[in-house]
Amino acid sequence: MATPDHVLVVDDDPDIRNLVGKLLEKNGFRASKVSDGKGLRMLLEKSQPDLIILDLMLPDEDGLVLCRNLRSRSNIPVIILSARGEDMDRIIGLEMGADDYLGKPFHPRELLARVKSVLRRARSMPGDIQELDANATYRFAGWVLDVPTRQLYSPKSKKIFLSGGEFALLRVFLNHPNRVLSRDQLLDFSHGREIEPFDRTIDMQVSRLRRRLGDDPKKPSLIKTVRSAGYVLAVRVERGGDTYGADDSGLGD
Amino acid sequence: MGVQSDKITVHIDEDLAEIVPGYLFNRRKDVDQQLPQALASGDFQTLRILGHRMKGSGAGYGFEGVSEIGRAIEEAAKLENRDGITQGIADLANYLDHLDVIYD
Repeated sequence: MATPDHVLVVDDDPDIRNLVGKLLEKNGFRASKVSDGKGLRMLLEKSQPDLIILDLMLPDEDGLVLCRNLRSRSNIPVIILSARGEDMDRIIGLEMGADDYLGKPFHPRELLARVKSVLRRARSMPGDIQELDANATYRFAGWVLDVPTRQLYSPKSKKIFLSGGEFALLRVFLNHPNRVLSRDQLLDFSHGREIEPFDRTIDMQVSRLRRRLGDDPKKPSLIKTVRSAGYVLAVRVERGGDTYGADDSGLGD
Repeated sequence: MGVQSDKITVHIDEDLAEIVPGYLFNRRKDVDQQLPQALASGDFQTLRILGHRMKGSGAGYGFEGVSEIGRAIEEAAKLENRDGITQGIADLANYLDHLDVIYD
């Protein structure tokens, strides 16, 4: 029998904790409930939930700050559930790295649908790149990226400096060559949400990365823009002895 | 909301049958103890929190009326409007008195 998904509910209102917990359990989830930021931290020390439902108005800490801290340390999906239902609260919540935002009062079935949707979305993404390729060396279009030393070498063997964000982004592209990645996916995969969770951040990082790779921004040949979809690394990539991502995407810029 | 003499029938998802009585018991405690005590001591912060919680939880359990009353109490507490809070307490008592819950 499959292990049920573990959802952590963080809310200072016992009636909400009770309601959401019951709803989750009735629908095949395992629910843990805590009332504040301290409880959240204590639970995270001993277990890793699959998803967190987070209230914003907690007695000891601001839920938005908690959300931002969570996002900087982990990829656990977060749904904010708050009676602070102003548009600006929603926007800030999402910018702080929440995966979804539902205002109170809420319909239980809507919350359930969102939990399932966020989990589905999280699962459609590959596993943690940090662990997948920690010892890898990538070769692409004459370039070499050595992950353990974080060194990038040009086709003329010149060492090229990469910022942390650029390195993370390049790693994501190298893990998914010839696959269109949305801005959200790039943010998630590169843990970029901890930096600045705005779409434009990714655009700027891609632009900088192109410059590092000597890619013509007007007609890039390595990282191509796919209108209304995101970006794709359109190049054959070798990792260790493996070759993958044959350039068969057929995608233009 | 005003005094209502008719039955207020609310249909609730039977999945929630185990926890709804506890929820209504807590609202009754709000009417009988928490809200009047906070009002008597001029503790508008507590009144605001109680209203805010009612607003947030009521409709989730299926009780739209509790959310509406909670919203009114929260707003009245923000304005330190004693009459508004007194009215909110009366509305909640009336709502609970006339509530008829059907699980289906």
